[in-house]
Amino acid sequence: MTVSFGIIIVLCVYVALAVLDQISLQLGPYSPLFGGAITGLVMGDLKTGLMVGATLQLMTLGVATFGGATVPDFLTGSVMGTAYAILANKGASYGIGLAVPIGLLLTQTDILARMANTFFQHRADRFAEEGNYRKVELQNIWGTIPWILSRILPVAIGLFFGQSVVSAINSFIPAWFMDGLKTAGLILPAMGIAILMRYLPIKKYFPFFIIGFVMMAYGGKNFSILGSALVGLAMAAIYVIFKNKPTSPVTTSGTDSSENDDSDDDEVEIDE
Amino acid sequence: MNKLTDKDIKKVYWRNLFGLQWGWNYERMQGLGYSWVIMPALKRLYKDDKEQMKTALKTQLGFFNTSQPMSHLIIGADMGIEEKTGMSDPEAIVGLKTGLMGPFAGVGDTIFLAIYRAIVFSIASYMALSGSALGLLLPIIAGAAILWVRYKFTWIGYQQGTKLATEFAGRMKILTEGASILGLTVVGALIPSVINYSLDLKYQMGKVTLNIDDMLNQILPSLVPLAIVMFSYWLLGKKKMNSTRLIFVLIALGMVLGNLKRIFGM
Repeated sequence: MTVSFGIIIVLCVYVALAVLDQISLQLGPYSPLFGGAITGLVMGDLKTGLMVGATLQLMTLGVATFGGATVPDFLTGSVMGTAYAILANKGASYGIGLAVPIGLLLTQTDILARMANTFFQHRADRFAEEGNYRKVELQNIWGTIPWILSRILPVAIGLFFGQSVVSAINSFIPAWFMDGLKTAGLILPAMGIAILMRYLPIKKYFPFFIIGFVMMAYGGKNFSILGSALVGLAMAAIYVIFKNKPTSPVTTSGTDSSENDDSDDDEVEIDE
Repeated sequence: MNKLTDKDIKKVYWRNLFGLQWGWNYERMQGLGYSWVIMPALKRLYKDDKEQMKTALKTQLGFFNTSQPMSHLIIGADMGIEEKTGMSDPEAIVGLKTGLMGPFAGVGDTIFLAIYRAIVFSIASYMALSGSALGLLLPIIAGAAILWVRYKFTWIGYQQGTKLATEFAGRMKILTEGASILGLTVVGALIPSVINYSLDLKYQMGKVTLNIDDMLNQILPSLVPLAIVMFSYWLLGKKKMNSTRLIFVLIALGMVLGNLKRIFGM
């Protein structure tokens, strides 16, 4: 019950292209539907592939990577589930049953890839200090490597050794490590936010930071980032309106008649 | 100051299509990709001015994350503003990027991920379930239409950004302050929405179960994410701390927090 080398290579190339599609164009190859269909086509059983892929696709329609969150890798799950189902000749539902735990397990490789790319971000920081923009550019291109490896390695290993490897891996990595990794993935965005706070004049404008936080912390489910941003925009506009008023009429004191509506307000607000 | 050519903007569009997320990482998300995408414009504007280029590189490597189709509007506007003002005011650029990325992400993810995907892929899947692979063409065709929309977005953003910068010429300081206010409001709002971590601890005392998360929520919702952010912010202000070291601190913290139940034997 093994897959030929040729097929493993073709599927590896496919998942590499698919993960690049997932993080860029999102045309379709990244979806479980395509994963199942392509695998089925390559292994000579398109119908099973379509069934596995379509079922997984419909199961995961609501699962989207909002804001770059990691979601189970159902694409790779779909590829491997379809392959195992065709190999074992046990039909689509067998493949679907395998695809889900595989997708869940591979959440970890996705997290690792996203962590690994921090390395290139820091290299880029170093080159930015030197003003070396060519080297900064290169780092983003290197970033594709962890992405591609995170999909190719599981597919290559999984198809080469068969499904026993999935349960073996599951029992090999200690649970505490998996939990720790998952939590680290959850709290690491704190760093990006903290860097942003260092960049913006937070000491001067801290009240707005507090307002933003409180809106989402308490409003959470009933409120949205869009809502907070609109409030932020309104506060910014208010600030600009009040700050802007005194400077404009100074030079145009003689043309009051042309902006009568505004000048009524001006008299009230000018206090300097 | 050099002018951007149509070719530069088209180059940025192509880069944006493919590479915004190649370097995606937990620390600055699309930050690395953003710098790569906008690089043709940076080259045109700052090639002969090393100091401006350094500032530009550092600014554009900062934290960024939004919906990919919507990012074209922000990057377009960024180009429009930088063409006029250069890197004279990096805070304005950061404020603009930060202020727009949140709301655009919300709108973009809803339209281009949730709604779009639900429609296109459910139709394709139903066709596949009945044994027809023809449905697979549907996402490809619809996806091509999205690419056209993204092209338009690049130009709309660029034109609006130029307009914004022209209107506020000489009043950039106020714009900066306004953008900072918007940016900081969104940064504050990001904490509860981006860091979805809770302690998940329950303390058993006889027959009474204390839910630690509930207790903390009564003090202040999202208290733990806020504490982690403030801790990171404070650490970054330390002399010997840099972002590389902070990453290890946070991973170590994650290892501890992820295993609280084991540590306390609950």
